[in-house]
Amino acid sequence: MGMDKQESVKKLFTAQSAKVDTNRGDAYYEALYVKCQERLDALKKLRPLNNRRDFLSTIEDEGLERRDFLKWASATTAMLMLPASFTPLVAEAATLMNRVPVIWIELSDCAGNSEALLRSDGPKIDEIILDIISLEFHETLQAASGHQAEKQMEEAMEHFKGKYLLFVEGAIPLGMNGQFGTIGAKAETFVDHLHRAAEGAAAVVAVGSCATYGGIPAAAPNPTDAVGVMDVVKGKPIINIPACPANPSNMVGVILHFVLTGQIPELDSLLRPKFAFGYRIHDNCERRAHFDAGEYVEEWGDEGAKNNFCLYKMGCKGPMTFNNCSIIRYNEGVNWPIGVGRGCIGCSEPDFWDKYAYERPMANANIKAPTGGVEKTVDQFGLGLLTAAGIGIGIHAAASAIAGKKENQKEEA
Amino acid sequence: MKKIKIKELIEKIEGEAELDFTIEDGRIEDVKINFGFYRGIEEILQGRDAWDALVITPRVCGICNHAHLIAAVRAIEDGYQNAGINLLLSEKAKKIRSFTLACELIQNHMKWFYMTIVPQLEAYLQIDNRQNHALKATYLSSTVTKALAIFAGQWPHSSYAIPGGVSCDPTHLDLMQAEALIDECIRFVEQVLIGMDMAQYLDISSVSQLHEVGGDLGRLMHLIGSSGMATLGQSYDRFIVFGESLLSSSGKSIATAVSKVDPRYVQESAQDESMAKAVTYKKRLYETGPLARGMVAKRPIIKSLHKRYKDALLTRIFARMHEVSLLLTESKRLLRELDLNEPSCTLDIDTRCADFEGTGIVEAARGSLIHQTEVSGGLIHRYEIITPTQWNLSHGSGDEHGIAVEAMIGSKSIQEATFIFRTFDVCSVCTTQ
Ligand code: SF4
Ligand code: SF4
Repeated sequence: MGMDKQESVKKLFTAQSAKVDTNRGDAYYEALYVKCQERLDALKKLRPLNNRRDFLSTIEDEGLERRDFLKWASATTAMLMLPASFTPLVAEAATLMNRVPVIWIELSDCAGNSEALLRSDGPKIDEIILDIISLEFHETLQAASGHQAEKQMEEAMEHFKGKYLLFVEGAIPLGMNGQFGTIGAKAETFVDHLHRAAEGAAAVVAVGSCATYGGIPAAAPNPTDAVGVMDVVKGKPIINIPACPANPSNMVGVILHFVLTGQIPELDSLLRPKFAFGYRIHDNCERRAHFDAGEYVEEWGDEGAKNNFCLYKMGCKGPMTFNNCSIIRYNEGVNWPIGVGRGCIGCSEPDFWDKYAYERPMANANIKAPTGGVEKTVDQFGLGLLTAAGIGIGIHAAASAIAGKKENQKEEA
Repeated sequence: MKKIKIKELIEKIEGEAELDFTIEDGRIEDVKINFGFYRGIEEILQGRDAWDALVITPRVCGICNHAHLIAAVRAIEDGYQNAGINLLLSEKAKKIRSFTLACELIQNHMKWFYMTIVPQLEAYLQIDNRQNHALKATYLSSTVTKALAIFAGQWPHSSYAIPGGVSCDPTHLDLMQAEALIDECIRFVEQVLIGMDMAQYLDISSVSQLHEVGGDLGRLMHLIGSSGMATLGQSYDRFIVFGESLLSSSGKSIATAVSKVDPRYVQESAQDESMAKAVTYKKRLYETGPLARGMVAKRPIIKSLHKRYKDALLTRIFARMHEVSLLLTESKRLLRELDLNEPSCTLDIDTRCADFEGTGIVEAARGSLIHQTEVSGGLIHRYEIITPTQWNLSHGSGDEHGIAVEAMIGSKSIQEATFIFRTFDVCSVCTTQ
């Protein structure tokens, strides 16, 4: 690769434009602070929605100290892209999570997000928060089952009408009049079920790539005609938390943001919260220095692999994937795919199952640059790659342009 | 004689199932198991690059995704072998894969026990227990999946296994961290699940010593015994295991006689009114899963329980929970034996094979999982996924009922029958895909 090409690639991949401008000025934050305070005071007056455990005593029961909790609060404040002065508010919001009702439904899915969220990982404190979140209804976690569970969901929807956050896991199969997925004793189709549940929701949160874009069920030839929530639900604020599975920290972040501000967080053009999807895996990757130095793993298990070199040539899609795994990682922060020498597969991007999910190097993947060329090797990638990366940045630029609109939507929440 | 039909919804499994009961004179006479759910994963795989199965198939199931990954990678490796490429995995790669699989089984069993079996039994027997069982499940499974993630990057849906080995290159520090996590799991199991020293527990070989088991497992066994439920839920007493694993080798067991199996005799067929396909071995139905593994491995305590209770729910539940201690002990041994100097992956990057047929078999939490891939010109021509639940939950074939159906027939209430149903560790997303 010619020197100048390499330089321009490097420039592009380090461009500030790929990142969200997080600072919105003192006046903005001062106003927001007051607003959040009022919101929290109002929430405090409400009774907790259910008889779940008190947050702080739960923390003690779990053997965590207040210091750990504050550490978590400041990390979460940073994750939500708020100034450090908001930390006490975030901490307080966490203790008020049981004032906001959440209903969780599962459609065409593998239950992986529920697994990720409610049963397996997530930093310890996130997990406890999830335990005390006022989860009014969740199909798998519900104590009741069968007809009784159905009744509970009806009641929750009626009682919290207009107030609850609806979390949706899984795609919506529209084929065969929706008969590919039915639920309950009346065999209600997933699409009808979603419409009914969304009706009284304050906002709908699509968790995971299936609920966001249709996910694996929507992979070509899309046998069940599966789509995401935003293709079905109209006239409601929608927040997408893609990735496969979605990261629990981001789910908690969305709820916390809602508790704190009464609004949904700022979104990009794909309705993803900017605090989580505002930058690329590649921007904060621990192997980035090796990318910049041109040191790549060339084959599985080689010397480069042993030295944690960059996985670009092994098909890493980090340069075109917007997500925060490189920072928050998975399974209580223990690790993440790139940490074990497997490139990112772009699981939080639309159509990743068709375009990105290839085990082979990106050069041979189906990501077509506008010139129509599909690159063969890194050494030849020049223009093609630039355009491919350009697409990622293009999306982002569009995101900023549309952000204004999304912000209007936010006010309704 | 009065015949009535009742529909019952089964939730709290991955996805949902519907059981249509036919009840005659207060006894369950027949059951139809329906899964109203289909995604078409096998169809989606057609025409894709052979290696795409590594990313797509784990997403069949959020709870046994890792087993799918390993089955997919083995199918490709088997195909390469069949095409004449000599693939020799390093011991290190094999051991790491065994380790991560063991972790997945452990988290599954613990969740099933604490989130399904214990609460359902307490509800059925009307025992008021204020303990938060779900938290116990969460604690242990998050600890063990952390150990898994050290090698696999994340759980669920990791992709770290690749034809020829694994992509990770763990350090001694990683091993120490993993071992500390496994030790913590052992401590938890000793204190909370079995209430005794694990080594002593694993020495138990006969039913007469089972009273020594304490903890929640001991309590559960006692509840089942004292409520007269121990002998419920018997089926055909036929078991099958296709995969080689830490727990057993392959084979089938018919009323304790163990013999060899050959996956070529496995047959899949569509069923009326269900999106799940039935599967048979030489036209007969078999139970697969932990009880099958215990029987095929001729594990003394399982055989002793079987002698007294046959394939009833007590034996079935114990066999699954017994695997937790076996796997924790084995996984610790694997970590100790790991030689980090061996290569992680032995497949040369230029060795690609465009035309092959391969089968990948894995012992997953619920039993044998089989992937079959037929590749031509580098693209998948046909992909077949046969899941454990297809064995256990089919309607039946010919004049025989399905395995779980047979176990439920004769029950005196729907509640009793659904509890029996759950002892098979039901998963609807895997059954229909
Ligand atoms: S491993 Fe991937 S995300 Fe990380 S620096 Fe290399 S290309 Fe970028
Ligand atoms: S690293 Fe890439 S593939 Fe992995 S979870 Fe994050 S976005 Fe998805």
